[in-house]
Amino acid sequence: MATNACLVVSLWISCLLATTHAATFSSLQRTLVLTASPQAGQVLKAGEDNITLAWSLNTTFASGIDSTYKTITVELCYAPISQKDRGWRKTVDELAKDKTCQHNIVKKPYTSSNTTFTWTVRKDVPGATYFVRAYALDSAGKEVAFGQTTDAHKTTNLFEVEAITGRHVSLDIASACFSAFSIVSLLGFFFMDKRKAKSSK
Amino acid sequence: MEIPGEEYPKRFPLAVDSEHKATEFRLFSAAPPHMRAFHLSWLSFFTCFVSTFAAPPLLPVIRDDLDLTATDIGNAGIAAVSGAVFARLAMGTCCDLFGPRLASAALVLATAPAVFCTSLAASPASFLALRFLTGFSLATFVSTQFWMSSLFSPNVVGTANGVAGGWGNLGGGATQLIMPLVFDLIVLAGAGKFTAWRAAFFIPGLLQTVSAYGIFFLGQDLPDGDYSQLQKSGEKHKDSFDKILSGAVTNYRGWILALTYGYCFGVELTIDNIIAQYFYDKFDVNLHTAGTIAASFGLANLFSRPGGGMLSDFVARRFGMRGRLWTLWVVQTVGGVLCVLLGKVGSLAASVAVLLVFSVFVQAACGLTFGVVPFVSRRSLGIISGMTGGGGNVGAVLTQVIFFRGSRYTTETGITLMGVMIIACTLVIMLIHFPQWGGMLWPPSDGATEEDYYVSEWTAPEQDKGFHKASLKFSQNSRRERGQSVIASPNTYA
Repeated sequence: MATNACLVVSLWISCLLATTHAATFSSLQRTLVLTASPQAGQVLKAGEDNITLAWSLNTTFASGIDSTYKTITVELCYAPISQKDRGWRKTVDELAKDKTCQHNIVKKPYTSSNTTFTWTVRKDVPGATYFVRAYALDSAGKEVAFGQTTDAHKTTNLFEVEAITGRHVSLDIASACFSAFSIVSLLGFFFMDKRKAKSSK
Repeated sequence: MEIPGEEYPKRFPLAVDSEHKATEFRLFSAAPPHMRAFHLSWLSFFTCFVSTFAAPPLLPVIRDDLDLTATDIGNAGIAAVSGAVFARLAMGTCCDLFGPRLASAALVLATAPAVFCTSLAASPASFLALRFLTGFSLATFVSTQFWMSSLFSPNVVGTANGVAGGWGNLGGGATQLIMPLVFDLIVLAGAGKFTAWRAAFFIPGLLQTVSAYGIFFLGQDLPDGDYSQLQKSGEKHKDSFDKILSGAVTNYRGWILALTYGYCFGVELTIDNIIAQYFYDKFDVNLHTAGTIAASFGLANLFSRPGGGMLSDFVARRFGMRGRLWTLWVVQTVGGVLCVLLGKVGSLAASVAVLLVFSVFVQAACGLTFGVVPFVSRRSLGIISGMTGGGGNVGAVLTQVIFFRGSRYTTETGITLMGVMIIACTLVIMLIHFPQWGGMLWPPSDGATEEDYYVSEWTAPEQDKGFHKASLKFSQNSRRERGQSVIASPNTYA
């Protein structure tokens, strides 16, 4: 009897904590089915290639589970290999602090039927290994469910993006010119100083 | 030693001593040769600091472009400060041999290509190499201190060194504000992020080039002329590298100051590299806020390092060299205690407060160190300045490698242990003793004079040739380091 009471109380307290606590990833249910066009291991070029996405509700769940879903936001997320030794991309359970998904693809109102979207990989997406995740948000903008193109351990179906370098021929030439100017100036200084010393005698 | 018939009072805008070094420091004047050289040297040193620490504020963009890991970033940060270890020693030698004007203009121009070529970086390896090469420019610190010590008399040398060094160091803080601003402007003009950061590096590069031109055309090594002129005319003899080097290396005071400078300036450089991340990770502030806190640490140099230099000159008036040494030990030890505290406090507000007070003390200690350095040697001033300056960078490398690399210590523990190390290593200042002035714990030796100390740097044959004349003048002018109990008055011509 006493143990039952303890169990009830502790369950009640944890429920209370869960509602007052920030949203965590582990509390979300994977109720969305999300597919992306890139094959596993495919390399996409930033600024050029497209990703076609399709998402819908997983019908094996009880109907009415999507009653709170108001918006779907689709994100490009870093795979574990691109998070290694990079604390600024760390996965943290508390969603407000989680840095796994830093590139928003699209935000659309929720419909239970199949939705598709084609996205051109933005130019400022860094070179890394990725997967795609979709969050279902409620009317308050809080995450309530998710779906992703990879498995729970984020090991399957990952693709790569090849980033632009940001280098331009004009910048390269400018660097070379300014550098040459500095060196020539330096030699000029030595020459002038020697001449000045000779003439001051 | 006066040359009869010379009109001292009319030759210089400022009051000078028998070596024609200025006995006053007028901050808002640009009168040649003294104050003009001051402004040229601190400005060029400032641009070098801006270039060397231009990458950290842009790292959030650079790390994505070059696919850097945290280890790559840490290594590049260490590389940026390690190049200057030997560069500072080399710079000291060059100043002794060729004069600070040519030496600093040459270094600033020689490192400008590394800054311009940062726009070409394509990998973690090239990024590290470019930060390493750019870091060589921090050796302009030595030429700055050497130049000030050559142009300003003992009674204001601490102030001149402190303001020049402090305002140069300011570049490390200013760059945290300048580079993001330049980056934002370039992005606004339509460039992508990965192009904008590359283009932004042209600004520090151009600043360096312009300042080198300024030094060469407007600067002058000594009150009476440039090294090359004076060497040709015979007024200054061209010294031998071996003699200068052996004089510096055998003077134990240079080694002690090199060690202690590693625990004020070295600590300052370490904090420059780690503090933004520390605040970001521990207190969850955003990157901009963390950057601003980091910038304020560097910006305290505006008054704290000069303050240290002025304090050194101030206590020297009453207590001479012993006062300078005691004040240095006290201020640096308090800095160490505050460092221990910084690693222990738990709240954001307390951390920021402790950080700011800590920055004042650690930077003042840097200023106080260079209130002592000009007196360690007259002949080998450049190499001693270079050793001390290089020691600062060694301290930065060591501290980062021992406490802030990998996950052996949390950052807070690292900071506290760094504080303990500061306190321990600063104790060696007690071992510095000048026969003519004394040290912290022991009074001057009986009968020792300034001449004995400075003229003994020259051998008898060299003295016969008159090479030691400048050292004789310096000996007389430095007699005030005995403190107020001494009756001797300095030779001042107002």
